[in-house]
Formats: sequence, structure tokens, C-alpha cells
Amino acid sequence: MSDERTHKAHHPSQSGKKAEKKSTGKKKHGVTNDKAFAPRSGRRAEKQGRRAAEKDQTRLHVPLVNRSPDDVPPPVLVAVVGPPGVGKSTLVKSLVRRYTKQTLNDIRGPVTVISGKKRRLTIIECNNDLSSMIDIAKIADLILLMIDGSFGFEMETFEFLNILQAHGFPKVIGVLTHLDLIKKSATLRATKKALKKRFWAEIYQGAKLFYLSGVLNGRYPDSEILNLSRFISVMKFRPLIFRNTHPYLLADRFEDLTPREQIRLSKGKCDRTVTVYGYLHGTNLRDGTKVHIPGVGDLDINSITLLGDPCPFPTADSEKRRKLSEKKKLLVYAPMSDVGGVMYDKDAVWVNVPGSFTRGNRDVPQGEGEQMVMDLQDVSETLEDAVARSQIRLLDSSCKSLSLYPFSSQHTRVEDDVLDQGSDEEDEGREGEDLASGSDGDFDDEELPYSEDENVELHFTGRSTHRAGHRSADILYEPEGSGIDFADSDSDLGDDGGGNIRMADLPRDSDPNLPTDTDDEAEEKVPKWKSNLIDQANASFKLAQRSKAKDWTRLIYSTALSPHQIVRGEPNAADREKDEENDDDFFTLKKATDVDADSMDATKETYPSDQLTKWDNEEMFDSIRNLFITGRNDPSAADGDHDASGSDDGFDEDEKINSDGDEGNPREVVDADPQAASLAVKKEALKRKFDEQYDDPESSKQDFYTEAKEAISAQQALNRAEFADVDAATRALVEGYQPGSYVRLELNSVPCEMSVHFDPTRPLVVGGLLSAEEQFGFVQVRIKRHRWHTRTLKTNDPLILSLGWRRFQTVPIYSLDDHSVRMRMLKYTPEHMHCYATFYGPISAPNTGFCAFNSLEDSVAAFRIAATGVVLDIDRSVKIVKKLKLTGVPYKIFKNTAFVKDMFSSALEVAKFEGANLRTVSGIRGQVKKGLPKPDGAFRATFEDKVLMSDLIFLRAWYSIQPRKFCNPVTSLLLSSGSKWTGMRLTGQVRREHNLPAPHQRDSAYKPIERPGRRFNPLKVPRKLQGALPYASKPRLMKPQKRTTYLQKRAVLLEPEEKKALAVMQQMRALRKEAIARRREKKQDRSETRKKRLEKDEQKKSEKKREERKEQMRIAGIKNKREAEREDGVSRKKRKT
Amino acid sequence: MTAASLNYSGHLHFRHRLVLSVLSGKIIKIDKIRPGDKNPGLRDYEVSLLRLIEKVTNGTVIEISLTGTAILVKPGIISGGPVVHECPPSRSVGYFLEPIITLAPFSKKPLALTLRGITTDDKDLSVDLIRTVTLPHLEPFGISDGLELKIKKRGSPPLGGGEVLFLCPIVKQVKTLNFVEPGKIKRIRGISHAVRVSPQFSNRMIEAARSVLNRYIPDIYLYSDVYKGEESGKSPGYALSLVAESTTAALHCAEAVSQPGVAPEDIALQATRSLLNEIERGGCVDQKHQTLVLLLMALGSEDVGRCRMAEPTERTIQFLRDVKDAFGTSFKIIPADKSNQSSHLLYSCYGTGYVNTNRSLA
Repeated sequence: MSDERTHKAHHPSQSGKKAEKKSTGKKKHGVTNDKAFAPRSGRRAEKQGRRAAEKDQTRLHVPLVNRSPDDVPPPVLVAVVGPPGVGKSTLVKSLVRRYTKQTLNDIRGPVTVISGKKRRLTIIECNNDLSSMIDIAKIADLILLMIDGSFGFEMETFEFLNILQAHGFPKVIGVLTHLDLIKKSATLRATKKALKKRFWAEIYQGAKLFYLSGVLNGRYPDSEILNLSRFISVMKFRPLIFRNTHPYLLADRFEDLTPREQIRLSKGKCDRTVTVYGYLHGTNLRDGTKVHIPGVGDLDINSITLLGDPCPFPTADSEKRRKLSEKKKLLVYAPMSDVGGVMYDKDAVWVNVPGSFTRGNRDVPQGEGEQMVMDLQDVSETLEDAVARSQIRLLDSSCKSLSLYPFSSQHTRVEDDVLDQGSDEEDEGREGEDLASGSDGDFDDEELPYSEDENVELHFTGRSTHRAGHRSADILYEPEGSGIDFADSDSDLGDDGGGNIRMADLPRDSDPNLPTDTDDEAEEKVPKWKSNLIDQANASFKLAQRSKAKDWTRLIYSTALSPHQIVRGEPNAADREKDEENDDDFFTLKKATDVDADSMDATKETYPSDQLTKWDNEEMFDSIRNLFITGRNDPSAADGDHDASGSDDGFDEDEKINSDGDEGNPREVVDADPQAASLAVKKEALKRKFDEQYDDPESSKQDFYTEAKEAISAQQALNRAEFADVDAATRALVEGYQPGSYVRLELNSVPCEMSVHFDPTRPLVVGGLLSAEEQFGFVQVRIKRHRWHTRTLKTNDPLILSLGWRRFQTVPIYSLDDHSVRMRMLKYTPEHMHCYATFYGPISAPNTGFCAFNSLEDSVAAFRIAATGVVLDIDRSVKIVKKLKLTGVPYKIFKNTAFVKDMFSSALEVAKFEGANLRTVSGIRGQVKKGLPKPDGAFRATFEDKVLMSDLIFLRAWYSIQPRKFCNPVTSLLLSSGSKWTGMRLTGQVRREHNLPAPHQRDSAYKPIERPGRRFNPLKVPRKLQGALPYASKPRLMKPQKRTTYLQKRAVLLEPEEKKALAVMQQMRALRKEAIARRREKKQDRSETRKKRLEKDEQKKSEKKREERKEQMRIAGIKNKREAEREDGVSRKKRKT
Repeated sequence: MTAASLNYSGHLHFRHRLVLSVLSGKIIKIDKIRPGDKNPGLRDYEVSLLRLIEKVTNGTVIEISLTGTAILVKPGIISGGPVVHECPPSRSVGYFLEPIITLAPFSKKPLALTLRGITTDDKDLSVDLIRTVTLPHLEPFGISDGLELKIKKRGSPPLGGGEVLFLCPIVKQVKTLNFVEPGKIKRIRGISHAVRVSPQFSNRMIEAARSVLNRYIPDIYLYSDVYKGEESGKSPGYALSLVAESTTAALHCAEAVSQPGVAPEDIALQATRSLLNEIERGGCVDQKHQTLVLLLMALGSEDVGRCRMAEPTERTIQFLRDVKDAFGTSFKIIPADKSNQSSHLLYSCYGTGYVNTNRSLA
């Protein structure tokens, strides 16, 4: 209605203040002095030009392909992150209210809303758990980082920012809250400024920071939220490399499909079959992809089902309008939280009708009857079990108790029902059956009573046909062939060969031609029209095959025909063989297989001689002339070509004639026109190209950036065009499921804890793995300890890594490159420097970022991110070495040769080290030569100089070490929320807990070095030699004097003048001493008074501080109280609902 | 976590299954290898191929059952580097080179593989064809710089004695192929070689081939390549290999090898007619290289790659099925012309986005 109403046209006011203002404003604009903005000098002009060019360059980025489709992009994942009590839930509520005009009171899990004609948002609140923060950081497109303005930044905020950095920084908008708690406007301004500065330093200069003032009606003020939502809606996202190479989804619905009976029998411990639902992101998800759920592990996808979009974009009718229509705004999809009393749960929808009796509502007093019913619900085993357990004897004397016999058919049926219950396909599949049986017109099993149903299903599939009140699933496409295909047309029937009554149940890949056991059973009771059907189908198949070319995709991928049969075109060969085998006796003659021909696995095929000799025929020879540039280019030649190739196809001669007769005429008519048309188009294009190049040769050349972008867009256009007209099944087979589609993944053998401890507040991310990422190996990374992490990291201490989708604990070995010769082990990570680390774990592609933690616990006060880094290399073996010094001592020395012992313990070891380099402490280099027989392990060595007996001899060797093959996934989603994951502990932690001292090796301890004084023997020169020496070289043989000399013996007396002078000197010295002492005393006095004064000041100051602190504490107390009250209120509210 | 495994039985398609296993990292189990044969189990050349794969990879575990009728291969990473391998005289060098060509671009270090043995025989692609046809097929995928095959010595069956050096660069990711225009044949090249026989044989083959091909096109150049002395291997032999190149660089090739008691002219005629057969079949890629091109298409980035080819051979069909097992990639195969004029098919697939994870960053 609103569309039809014509709006009043706008009339600009002709008089009055507005008109005046407008006219003056225009005038003002016109007056501008152009000269004022012209550059004053040539140099300045050049500078300005350069600046403009530089700014232009900043626009350029490496062109990246965006894998998500433009028409239906996946919703933007908006994560609200922040410390507890900062107002995350309030913000989510406010945003949901802004987009949908609905108030959700208990939001759990993701909420999907439509924010514009081309944009949907999935808003998710991230709890304060580090594991959740890591998972959110890997998938969120936009982070609303909430900061308590009255408190400032908290450690979690910084941790989260660092996690973001390691996993490809998504867009971040800061949101400051609790600003109403700051009363003084000057303080408010200062706080805002300080926080903004810090925020900018952490992200980038100019990062967007929002301020949200107080809370009104449990929401933030509408105008502020409106502002924020506008920013969200115009935000552009650059694809991040990791996400652009992996498919992933954030599960917004989770269901456990395991049969109840199985759970009951295993006491809830059996592996579960679960389904997760969500919008696909990243790249296409294909069948056969393995997925990783962080916190659970690697899982195989059992099936992928494309579902109808629960939150679809507005369609063409509202497309005309610029804005989103109000009706569309009401759409909100949040299966995990209660939206308007509707709960989606375990493949069913629960409508909450308040007032009636509900389980778990303890507030309402329960009557006796109610209590009894609830007790009945609590029973964990069936009556049957109880009977089976109880031992009833017919007679008192009978020794064997009565036993219950294998379950009746009725019972198995019930089990089947449970098995089937909830699977969405059932409904569809049944509808297909209805169609098939409907043609018979005899019965409609919907109306049949329960018991009769069993008879019907004998004809069909053995599947139960009980119809439970399921939610009508809006399935767009079913990979398990649906019934509609069946009734399409005869030719389609033919396509499926011996397609028979089991059509609706046939899995896509199975071969319809192969008769199965169930078929044989079914055939006995098949009505006549059905048996006819097979013959008809066969006949039509043959017809179709004659007239149509082979459907290669189907032949190759969805039949069990051997390649040989496909090429030769004998689709029923398999059938025939099977039949023959069935008819044969017990012994069958082994057929000479014709595999011998290609048994050699040869690439070069040999043509039969007739294929070669045909070229002697002139007509044949001329027939391929048109394939050469020298040949003519006319349709008749092409026709000849077709004939020639037709004979190759192996069809019978008459068939060919037939087909030619059929097709020949229309083709000629059609061909003439398109030929001319296509030629004209080609000419046109050529002409345009020539014109362009002739007019402006420069224009056709483009810079690298534009060229790369154009290539990308051309490829994307091709991607879209190639599968535009293909049916959904083939499309899913070839290209997988596109991002933006809403899918349901069925996962098999999921640990039961995941289902038991499922908590919607923890994000459930399903990440697709590339083929390489399923493997394990040694990963070498470049790592740097985070500068805020207080402790160094130690080799062989466990470290929790968040790498790719995974979170796991492993044991790295740190190393450094030693002169590009070897990787040398480090005991500890170096300070302020990158080093290498090698660990055993799941492989990730090189250049993937990661962050590491020592512990994920909340109780750790310090900064938890231990290190960050990037993957460098992947291998199956590592070469990290540590230094090993072997020492030995010489026991016999010749000139440059010495016999060395105590280095090795056997001759074998010596043999291994022959030729190794040696070195003595004094720096003489040598080599190991050969082992000696006598002392075990002794060897002969040569040196560049003579060694001393006192020298130690070193052999510097390198000992290679392997990282431990330890990898422990962090299974946080398998734990109940609140309980903490425990992995391998750090060495220090273990010691602390067991009260063990650090191991202390006696040899490693530093002892005081005792160096006995070296005693040299006196030099003795033989007397004979002494005589021959020149005087200067003769040893001085003088003995020390024994008698006291005169100088030592004499007495000294002073003269009278000397005495006087000495006395004067002494007096002066005494005076000076006195003066110094006085001065010192005075100084001390002064300093003491100063100290006193300072003390007084200090006291005053501390008093003031105490007062301030008191005030602060009072405010904080009030805040806490308020919070507690609020929480109280929430919990009370919860109980009520 | 146990890695996914590929299970096959039978000795057929041994090579491409091994290649797919190594590329995808999935464990491969093959059983029933010639169980009913007089000489059951793996042949010597198959064992030799396994050894070669062990040499070019790191961490590969190969388990062969006692009878040799079943094997289990746990592939490691492709390491590359200098490798020397002695091929048994039962198969030519081409048998070993073909799988290696598909592995080498994804190795850690550029591969320098020396293979010794027979260089030309009638079962596998000869080194001439690999050099002139197979390697140019890698060019549109972005594998070209430093890609080379050097024929150091030639060796004819039965004794061989040839030696080739294969150099291959590494790539991060192969480019997406879009090759739908077969074009028209613009030139024909060929190599006629003769070892330990009269060099005149080679000239006679050239004459005979020219007599046929000249009627189609004048741009024909057939090289005569005669190896002498040390470089000519241990046995006598000669062969003619022909390559037809189209205006869009589509290559079609054929070859014929000397047989006892057959004149060189007849050999040349055989090669020429095979070439005409190939040309008649048409398409952008000839039959012998269908699997190579399809594999590299499947490994390309996550975009649609297209190629126009003739109908798939049996090998190709099985290969397509095996690719689906290993990578989950299926091809869309439709007739190239709506009007049904030719038997050509258009193969298109959505690449898996295979990235060379073995390549180290440091």
C-alpha cells in the first residue's frame, strides 16, 4: 500500500529565512578565490603532485579474489567481545532491536538478521573464555570490541587483539561503555582521549571508537545504536587469506540424531550422530571434505543438505524501494535462543505456552499425579528390559528362567522409527513414494492404519512409513534422488536404465542396473505394470542412447560400468555378466580377461592396422584438410569431419544413417544462419579491437593492478557462467556448496560429550580442512615470545597452539640457525628475538599465523599469550642438533702424533669417528686417525703441533634430537562449561605440585676453581757450561746479606728550628680538623630539619591519597552491588520463564 | 585421527593411483595385484617405481606383502632435490618420468632427476615426446621456468644404456587452465633418431614422412638426430616422433619405433598415419596427455578450468574416478558443440585449490 501512495513533491521555499540562507550560501560558494588554492611555486606544485600520486598508491592492494558470491553473500559475522559486565548482551539486544524491532530477552548463540538489501548479519556474543575467543577470532568478519570506559582496558582485551593479529586481523570497531559512571565532564573527556589513544596505538591510527552512554530500558540509546548500525552496514571487508581458502560455518543450530534407544542402551556413552546447521562461509564446501570442529576434533561429513534460507534476502518486489521494507525487518533467525516463545530443538520446534505445566519448573507446587508422571518420564529402561532382567520361573523346580525372545517385528519397527525420526529427508522421500504409488491409485498409505502399513512397506523399501509431526522442512534440493525426477518424462526414465520401483530410495551413486537382494525379493510381488516398466525403460534407454550422445558425467561418476564398457558403449555388459554368473553352476570357467592388452599400463596406444591403412584412401585423406591452416574453412568440410568421427564412435551403420537422416535437415537450416551470425560477431570484435588500437595505442595497455583485477573478474564471471544452467545435483557434485547457502551437515561418530555438554554460548565453528591439513608431520615455525609474557619458554615444555582451525598442545624444540650450516637447539627462547620452533602436529600450509599459550585457564592473572609466529616449513623428519663435546687425554706423545684415551669406550666408536676434527684447549687442531688395540677406545691422532701431556683434547660433535611426537587436541567443547581442560603440565608446574627440587647435576655445579701454583724447578746450569758462558749470561750467584747495614743502625736527632716548624705544622693541622668537624655538624643539622619537613609533607600526602582511595572503593562497592542486584534479577527472571 | 585411505585392487592404473596418493597425502592400499598370474605380484618396474617415489619423497612408508600381490603406501612429503635412479630394462624411462612430472612441481626443492635406462620404446612416451610435447603442456599451468629434459645418452631396447636429466622448478599453485580453442594445425615438427645403425636410416624415415605430410602443409621440419659412440647406448635402434602444433599451441603427437624386419619407410608411415589419427581426433590436448592435463586442472585454484578434448580413453575414465576418490573433484563433461558437429567434449572442473605445502618459506 505504501508503495502506491504518491509522495508530495518537494517545493523549495521561495521566501523566508531558508531561502535567504540558501541564496547567501550559494553566493559565498561562488566567491571563492581560485588563486588561493593554486600552488605558489613550481617546486610546491611538484611536491603536491607527488603527494597526490603517493596517496593514489595507498589505494592499491594486492588483488585478492573474494570467493563468496555477490548475489547471495553469506551473512557478515559480527562478534561482540569484551570482559564480563561490560554490556555485551545489552549491545546485542540493542542491535537486534534496531534491526528487527523485536526484543529478545534471552539471547544464546548466533542471531541472524537482515540489515539491508544486500547484507545480513549474524551477531554472536563471545563469552570470556579464552577458547571461545580464539574460535571467534578465526571466523568473525567484524569485531565489536567492548571496553568499560570507567575501568579502562582489561587484560582479555589485549589478549584478544593479539589473537586477532595472529589469525589475520578482521575489522574491529571499539565500543566504550559505562561512560555514564564518570560524572565530571573534564574527567570524561580525559578518559575518552586516553582510551582512544591507547586503542589507536593497538590497532591503527584512526580506528573507529564508539561511545555508548548509559542504558535506557535495558538497551543503549537508540540514536547511538543507529549510528553504530550505520557504520556496520557500510563497512567493507577485505578477504583474509586463510578464510578465503577454507570453507567454514558457524553453527546456529545443533541437533543430536542418535536413536534414543541406542543412547539408553549405552547409558548415554555411545558415539553420536549429530547435525549442525549454518551459513557457509569461505570457499565452496564439497562432499568428502573433512571438517574440524575446534574443541572437538576432526570429523567426517556424512551428508551435506542444502536447506532453504531461513533468513532470505528481500525479493524483487521490495527491490524497487531504496530502503528495506518494514515487513522484512521483522525477520530474525536465532534457533538457539528463544524467539517469541519458539524454540528449535532436536529437529523439532517447541512452542512455549506459558501457564501450563512444564518440567523442571520447581517453583510451581506439584501434585501427586504430576509427580507420578514425571517419575515415569525419568525411567531409564523399558518394561521389557525389566522383564528380561527379572527371573521368572514357570515351576518352582525349573532351573532355567524364562527368557524373552528376540524382538518382535513390531519392536524393530519402533526402533527404525526412532532411527528415522527427525531426518528431514524422510518426508521428502515418502512423498516420492506417494507419487509412485499414487499412479497405482489403489491406496494412500497416509490413511492406512498402523498395522497395515507393514504390508505396504514390503513392496517398497522396508522403511517405516510412520509419519511423525515433523517440522515441514523447506528443502530446496535433495541429493538422494527425489520422487519428482521419477515422474518427469520417459526419456528421463531411460536415463536411469533399469530404473525400477526403488527409485525414490536409490542413493545417487548407486548403480540402478545392478540388481540387489532386496530387488529380487521385491520382484516376486511386483504388479504387472511394474514388470512392464522395466522393459519399457530398457527399450527407451536404448532409444535414448541411439539418439543422444553419451552423458559422460553420469557414466563416469554414477555408474559402476568399467571404463572399457563405457568406451565401447555397452552399458548392460555388467548386467549380462552378472546374470550369467547367477545361472552358472557352482564352478565357473575363469574367463580369459582382456586386460592383458593394457596390463602394461602403457601411455602409448597402438592403433589397429585398419585405423592406419584407412589413410591410403584419398577421400579419407582429404577429409581432414580443414583441420590445417592450409585447408578450406567451409561447413561441408566440417560435415565430412563429423561423418568420419561418427564412424569412430562404434555405432552400427544403420544407426548412423538413421541419425543422419533425422538430424541432417534441421542442422543445415540452422547452421547457415548461426555461421553467418557468428562470423559477423567475430568481424565486429576484430574491427573494434583494431579501431581501439589504431585510435589510441596506449589505452589498450594497462598497468599491472588493473590487469590483475580484470583477470580476476573475468575468471569469476566464467565461474558463474559455467554452472549457471546446470542442475543442482551436478552442481553440487562438481563445485560443491557455495558460500552463502544454508546447509545442514550430518556428522558421524561424534563424541557423546559434545552433545551432552553442548552450550549455545560457546561458539561452534565447523572448519573445512584441505587435503594436506589432515596429515601429521613436523612443522617448523618462526616464533617469538610475546614481550608481555613474563616467562621464557623452555624447550620440551608443552605449549598450546592455535594454528589453522585447530587448538592443540604440543612439545616444541626451539632452535636457531647456526651460520646456515645447522639448526642448533636452544634451551630457552631468546629475548626480543625470533627463533625457530619445531613440533609434531597437524600440518598447516606455510605462511599460516598462530599464537601460543602456556595455559588457557581463566585463573592466570598474567598475560596468557606466550608467543606468536608463522609456519615456515613442513617435513617428515627434522635436523636439529645440540653440541656434544667429547674429551680425552693424551697418554703418549710423539712429535705431532699422540695416543689419546678416555674419549671413546670401544674400537667401534673410534672407527665411526675416524677423520673427525680434534682440538686441544690450547688451540692445536688435529684429526682422529685410527683406533688402537690396547686400551679400549684409545686411538692415534695427529696434530698440527706437539701437544702437551697436560692438554685436554676435544672432539666437537653434533647430536641430533627429535621433537617428541606428542600432540594433544584441546577438547574444550567436550567439557561442561565451567570445567577446565587439563593438558600436559609444564615441567615447573609438575615440580611445584610434587614439591620436587629442580634436578641438580653435581658435574654442572660451579665450584671454586682451584689452581695449584705451578712450581718450576730451578734452572741448573752445569758448572762447566757456566765457565764457557759470556759474563752477561752467567747466572748471578749472590747470596742475600745477613748483617744489618749502617743505614739501618744509625740514630736521627732534630734541630731546634726543625722542632718548632714541626710543632706549628701540628697545631695548624689540629685547627683544620676542628673546623671540618664543626662544618659537618652544621650540615647534619640542616639535613635533619629537611628530613623532618619532608616527612611531614609525605604524611599529608598519604592522608589525602587514603581519602581518595576510600572514595573510589565506595563507588566500586556501589557498582558491584548494583551488578549483583542486576544478576540476581536476571537469574530470578530466568527461573520464572 | 587416522588419515583417509584409498583402496584399490588390481595392477592396472598403478602409476596414477600412486601419484594421486602422494599428492593428496592419503594412504593407498592396492591388493590383488596379478593374483592369478604365473608370475604373481608386482613386476620389477613397478617395484622400481616405488623405489623412485621413495627417493623423491621424505617419510614415505612402503609395505609390500610377502607374495607381492598387495601393497600399502603411506605417502610422505615430496622433497625433490638431486636424485639418481636406475630404471630396469623392462620399461623405458618414460614410464618413470610420467608420474614424476606430475609430482615434481609440488616438491620442496627443485627436482634434478637423472634416469638411466631405455629412452625410447613402443610402450611408453619416448624422451623426445616428453621433451617436445609433455613439458610444453605444463606451460599454461605456470610451470615453465627451468623446466627441462636433457637427453644425455640414448638407449634403445633391449639393453638401454641411455641417460636423461629432468629438471623441474617448483610452484606455489598451478594456474587455472582455460583452453577451448583447438585452432588449426600450423606446423609439424619431428625428430628422427638412429643409434648404432646407419645414419641413413634416419634420413629415409624423414623422406617417407615428408612425402605424406607435405600434401597438407608446407611448414614441416624433421630433425635428424644421430647419436654416436658413448652417447648411443648399448643396442641399435631408430624411431620417428612427430608433433603437430596448432595456431593455439595445441599439440598432437605420434611416434613409431623400429621393429626387426621392417623398413624405415614403413616405420615413418606408421608414425605419420598415427599422427593423422591424432589430428583427426582433435581437441586441445591429445589422448596421451589427457590425464596429465586433467590432473593439473583438478589441482588448480578454486576457479573453473575448462579444456576441450576428444572422448576420454579408458585410462582417462578410470583416472577421473580416482581423482574423485582422492580429491573429491568431479568434472563436468559435456559436448563441446551444441550442434553436435564434432565428437569433442568440454571438460570443466572446479579446482581444489591445491597449494604446494611442501614448499618452505624460509
